[in-house]
Amino acid sequence: MQRNNKPVSIIMGLLTLVLIVLIILGIGIGAVWIPPGEVLSLINGHLNGSSINYQGQTLSHDIIIWSIRFPRVLLGAMVGISLSVAGAIFQGLFRNPMADPYVIGVSSGSALGAVAAILLLGSTGLKYSYSIPAFAFVCAILTIFLVYSLARTGGRVPVMTLLLAGIAVNSFLSALQSLAMFYSGDQMHQVVFWLLGGFSSRGWEYIGMFMPYALIGIVIAFVYTRELNGMLIGEEQAQHLGIDVERVKIMLLIASALLIGASVSVSGLIGFVGLIIPHVVRLVVGPDHRVLLPMVALTGAIFMVGADIVARTIIAPEELPVGVVTALIGGPFFIYLLRRHKTSIYR
Amino acid sequence: MILDVMGVTCGYGSTPVLADATLKVNKGELLGIVGPNGSGKSTLLKAMSRVLPPRCGRILLQEDDIYEMRPSQAAQHLAVVPQEAGLDFPFTVEAVVMMGRIPHLKRFQREGQRDREIVREALRQTNTLQLAERLVTELSGGEKQRVLIARALAQEPEVMFLDEPTSFLDLNYQIEIMELLNRLRYQQGLTAVMVVHDLNLASQYCDNLLVLKDGRIFTAGSPAQVLNEDLIREVYGCEVKVEQRHPGSRPMLLIQPFNHRPQNTHYRVHVVGGGGCCGLLFHCLKERRWEVTAGVINIGDSDWQEAKSHGFKVVEAAPFSEIGLEEDQLNRLAMQKADFIILAPIPFGSGNLLNLRAVLEMAEQGAPVIVIDSGEIEERDYTGGEASIIYNKLLQSGVHVVEDPLQAVAVLEGDLPFVQS
Repeated sequence: MQRNNKPVSIIMGLLTLVLIVLIILGIGIGAVWIPPGEVLSLINGHLNGSSINYQGQTLSHDIIIWSIRFPRVLLGAMVGISLSVAGAIFQGLFRNPMADPYVIGVSSGSALGAVAAILLLGSTGLKYSYSIPAFAFVCAILTIFLVYSLARTGGRVPVMTLLLAGIAVNSFLSALQSLAMFYSGDQMHQVVFWLLGGFSSRGWEYIGMFMPYALIGIVIAFVYTRELNGMLIGEEQAQHLGIDVERVKIMLLIASALLIGASVSVSGLIGFVGLIIPHVVRLVVGPDHRVLLPMVALTGAIFMVGADIVARTIIAPEELPVGVVTALIGGPFFIYLLRRHKTSIYR
Repeated sequence: MILDVMGVTCGYGSTPVLADATLKVNKGELLGIVGPNGSGKSTLLKAMSRVLPPRCGRILLQEDDIYEMRPSQAAQHLAVVPQEAGLDFPFTVEAVVMMGRIPHLKRFQREGQRDREIVREALRQTNTLQLAERLVTELSGGEKQRVLIARALAQEPEVMFLDEPTSFLDLNYQIEIMELLNRLRYQQGLTAVMVVHDLNLASQYCDNLLVLKDGRIFTAGSPAQVLNEDLIREVYGCEVKVEQRHPGSRPMLLIQPFNHRPQNTHYRVHVVGGGGCCGLLFHCLKERRWEVTAGVINIGDSDWQEAKSHGFKVVEAAPFSEIGLEEDQLNRLAMQKADFIILAPIPFGSGNLLNLRAVLEMAEQGAPVIVIDSGEIEERDYTGGEASIIYNKLLQSGVHVVEDPLQAVAVLEGDLPFVQS
């Protein structure tokens, strides 16, 4: 592991740089182009608390940046981090590149929770919106434990049965979701658009409702990187190495439920990020989660901010749901990967 | 005593795979678990290595129940070398072996200099140091096996469990691994419990063998106590020969393939032998399933022993005595019944001259005689020339002369033509 440290930290540095540039670009790009210099100085002003005295154009730019674009881009980056880290957890935990929040049914579960929250509480005021991630998380965790207990045989959870249970639960939950939409009446368009996934008009309050859940999830994930490495060589061998396999599994499943529940509740269903990002990064840096997870987080953020920029600009002034963009970029790329690594898709 | 297994019963479904296993393992012992497929070997190993909690019974490491220990605590004492590698991810060899340090590290502790030294030592001992930077996915089965043993060593365990550690290995590595375990036992007091398929390897290296059959301990003890033909027949249901080079040495199993070749029932060969020159010939004839008679041979002669062990009919004379007229008659009768007569290159003395005379007479009557002529008759003539005269006469009497037993057999089999000189 020693020998890899230098290139890894160089790559990390480069990725961080790319992310910062993309975020500044993402804030600048829109109906009104705001140059990076102005973006930086305005944000800087806010961070130092000296933004009150702007006039005219600067004031309107300040509002655009601080109230609209900055939270949106930031949320995109954080959802990117959450989804791809959750994907990496699933893939490592189940030693399977197809294990992804969607396949396991967790995304559907949390989406159903979020839909239920929207329909039951009404979407008029934001006073209820803090409860949406809670619903999404609760449903995500319920889904995980439903799948987990369905798959559990003789005190163990074999990957194969877990995937099968996930697929079965997933289709059932999707049906429930469709049913809910069928009866949603006037709110149907809104629910559909939300489900397609996106960050349009997501302000600071969304970051507020997203952060607590995602932060806990990320911390748990990074605490268990060594155990994830152990799990990667097989559950039984992990046990041989003194890893409390069942506890690690539960903690990591909770972490991914938090990450997915939080993401789905603020941005709907955004597919392929959790599948592709960990996979691609693993191809480059190898399977060691102590290196892999930070890399995956950075790459996931870059990918999501980039995808959001594309979603906003490609048919401007209209806006594509970002979930469509990720699927359009991600799908073919994944097929390319599968073709290239047909014999060993996990390498 | 380091491990105490008390009445352990394990099973996945309703029928127990392992029932009521009780055993003790001493510190520094090499214990081999043997038995046929499905006898519960791996299940016992899993139960003992804290992977499969038993339905009832306890397993104590020194005083502590291993299933009541924390996982990391147990892994500081017990290491497992699994059967299937499962190394499907491109970790470096060093990284995999470093995983053996996991039980010794605290949650946020990084691997230190000492850990790296232990890993290097484990790599060195298993002869995998030169693989350290390679990816485990690129290794051969044998190399993976050694890497897994290195990882187990890096755990610095007191007891190592190995599930068929040598099954993927070439002979040289099989021996190397067993020697390594043997060495560690003396140097560090390492205890090793291993499932072994190769009974000979188990016999040579293990102090004790635990024989399982149908999920129960059939018997246990030292290889010399345990391994014998009856046990193999009862436990494995097959016939082997168990030999000891000398009393008290470790038994060795010899496999004796069943001869499926159809018996040459209507062909009979009579061998005139004696003096220990017929071993190879008898063996070849038996192998090719000829009906063999031999004579006249003194009881106790090594050719006599050999013929008897093959179950041949032997016209025999009393030990160290001359051939009597009665035996001579019986010998001639056997020759008449035979389709071929073979005269082996036996030394002639006054005691067995009748054998030579009988062969000559048969040849003169036109019986097919094959003489194995290894050269100078004078060198094995202890009758003062009389045997040489008869022998040379025999060679003139229409016999087929060959140089060695294999040629004689080839003639019998029709692979070489029978030519009367």
